[in-house]
Amino acid sequence: MDKKDLFDQITEVTRNTEDLLNKLHETQSAMVEIMEENAELQIENQHLRERLKQATAAENEGTKNTKYGLSKSLQNLEKLYASGYHVCNEFYGKHRQDEEECAFCLTVIYGDR
Amino acid sequence: MKFTIARNTFIKKLNAVQRAISSKTTIPILTGLKIEAEEDRLILTGSNTDISIETTISTNDEEAHLNIESTGAVVLTARFFGDIVKKLPDNTMLLEVKDGFQTTITSGASEFKINGLDANNFPHLPEVDSQTTITLKADVFSEMINETVIAVSNQESRPILTGIHFTIEGNKLSAVATDSHRLSQRVINLPEPIKMPEDIIIPGKSLLELSRMLDDEIDTITLQISENQALFTFDETLFYSRLLEGLYPDTSRLIPKESSTEMEFEAPELLASIERASLLSHAGRNNVVKLTINAANKQAIISGDSPEVGNVEEEVVTKDIVGEDLEISFNPDYLKDALRSFGHTSIKMAFTSALRPFTLVPTEDQENFIQLITPVRTF
Ligand SMILES: [Zn+2]
Repeated sequence: MDKKDLFDQITEVTRNTEDLLNKLHETQSAMVEIMEENAELQIENQHLRERLKQATAAENEGTKNTKYGLSKSLQNLEKLYASGYHVCNEFYGKHRQDEEECAFCLTVIYGDR
Repeated sequence: MKFTIARNTFIKKLNAVQRAISSKTTIPILTGLKIEAEEDRLILTGSNTDISIETTISTNDEEAHLNIESTGAVVLTARFFGDIVKKLPDNTMLLEVKDGFQTTITSGASEFKINGLDANNFPHLPEVDSQTTITLKADVFSEMINETVIAVSNQESRPILTGIHFTIEGNKLSAVATDSHRLSQRVINLPEPIKMPEDIIIPGKSLLELSRMLDDEIDTITLQISENQALFTFDETLFYSRLLEGLYPDTSRLIPKESSTEMEFEAPELLASIERASLLSHAGRNNVVKLTINAANKQAIISGDSPEVGNVEEEVVTKDIVGEDLEISFNPDYLKDALRSFGHTSIKMAFTSALRPFTLVPTEDQENFIQLITPVRTF
């Protein structure tokens, strides 16, 4: 194979790799979007279930029974946070990047009442 | 345009302006340095999308030996031009712009001819028509920047958190930054109360460049604010930065009002312990160290455990421990940054629970400087 062919081939491979990478990026952001949407739906679902429960059993209110004395709705937020999503106003429903802790979320869940 | 000038003075000013000039920008004219000669002064300007710097050399400046033979303006490729100026043989240099912006630079036996650009195409600097001028001690303001900029976010996906948030209440100027994992807040007292129209958010990167320009020779710096620009003025230099638009999150609620465990120590002591422990945590998969406080024995132990590498444990030299026992894990790098920003001083660290952010304040000045770090949940 002469040098020019080799060069052409490399160019071709580079272009293909770039295409592939672009597609990968697109897929990745699409996935993140879906995960975020999923998280938001989960939150909404939980809220709705909560409302339903409250409506059917109005007498059962204000039970604080977890280790940190969290109410039911805060427990739900805690669960959601633990599964990797923001529950704070700032980044509500967004995926927590690299599972990094968020001071805003922790303040929502465990903060001063 | 034609002038002669002492090369060392020119280089010093050139270096300052070059902080605003990027060689990577997609707008060709912005890779350039604008040189403008008026009757009695030379003005150098550099600009990028975030900051613009303009500095003046006066014919009265004795060290500059500035002699302007004819006025005019030109834009020269900053990096290339800067490299030439720095390598010229003689203490004095002569710069002359002829037709078509062809520029001749002469020094000793050396002569360069380079192509310049029309200065009329250089962007105009923003107009800052502010009624309020805040005067600040340069060293104090520079310290304020360096203490808070460590906590700004470097993620462009959250643009507002890449800035430092400034507010004024009475005569207190407060700066706060948070990347949502940690927070740093510094308050300085102004000589007199000032009314600032609203709070402002200045990009952390701009402020870092500014603080690098504030050397010992600069005593005071003034700040003026317009709708979308902040203008800092010091010596013969104007430093413009764009402001970040949007609402900065309410950070006051992040700082716990009460604490259940408190620990006091000398910053360098804990810093040394954390630096050792982080040798191990950096080698492991998750960068976490644990602090175990036994209040009754007044004992604090830093430990790190990375199954794939090994473990470390050491007792921290503390001055006092009060409150409840506690086990808390965190990213050691955040604590390192915080401790470094305090320097040689005694620190009080306050904890509420293993799940809530903890705070560090200097024992001597608990009101004006606070660092907050979010723990890592380990269950
Ligand atoms: Zn959050």
